[in-house]
Amino acid sequence: MATELTKRTMTLNLTDAEMRVLELLSSQKDLSKTAVIRQALRLYQLLDNRLSKGEKLFFEDTAKGEKAELMLMI
Amino acid sequence: MSARRKCHLRAPGAGDLAEAELVDELSKDDLIRAHLDWAPVRLMALKRLHEAKLPWPEHWHWDWSKKADMLDLLAYRCMGIEQDGRMQGLMMLSTIAAKGRLKAQEGKAVLYIEFLESAPWNLRALVEAPKFLGVGIRLLEAAIALSEEEGFGGRIGLHSLPQSEDFYRKYMTDLGPDSSQSQGLRYFEMSTEQMHNFLEGKKP
Repeated sequence: MATELTKRTMTLNLTDAEMRVLELLSSQKDLSKTAVIRQALRLYQLLDNRLSKGEKLFFEDTAKGEKAELMLMI
Repeated sequence: MSARRKCHLRAPGAGDLAEAELVDELSKDDLIRAHLDWAPVRLMALKRLHEAKLPWPEHWHWDWSKKADMLDLLAYRCMGIEQDGRMQGLMMLSTIAAKGRLKAQEGKAVLYIEFLESAPWNLRALVEAPKFLGVGIRLLEAAIALSEEEGFGGRIGLHSLPQSEDFYRKYMTDLGPDSSQSQGLRYFEMSTEQMHNFLEGKKP
């Protein structure tokens, strides 16, 4: 029912290592490579927005009782 | 730019189907306009419920104008169903894939529905005779379609307010209260099989 919005095409230059990671994520997540890149962009913008407002990002390992702030230069 | 697609709502008063449009990407202005249209109707209905000592819908305080800023981010998208120039229902979606929790689709991408609401004049909890029925169904169909478009296989998930649990339980799997959710709401997910059943069996 939803219709696709207008899309634009670009060429993405990746190193072999970056392409391997993209292919691995695409396979693991059962998503196309384009969908993985879109996900990354959405997440990057969301994190940038929250961090720019002074919020912090933490990773927590409840089993080990460890919590560490992730410092991102974005 | 948003696209529009025809859909149908049940119009009990008219005894027939009403043609409506699914708007697949709403702007901040659209949300503010919908809020301004809905708020007075909701207030009047709440006043009536209060005087009749009847319970209020749990989401009575939702204010879509306050959710409008979410649309500055690619991570969110809002859809609506419009009929005769008025929004009949709204749905906010997270376009960042959530992880599937059902065993058959564990870890696979799921489109998460943040908020879904019918206009106050369509809610049985607010009015005795809803103007249109089937708004929630149409919005769930739209969420499934977007999930497919995003490459998420039509999988959708959401947390439900207690008053809406019976509705979602008809079409989705109830995975119980979610301790990671701030209100401890129950999490519902639709499997691929449930999606096919839903799409085949729930046309107006």
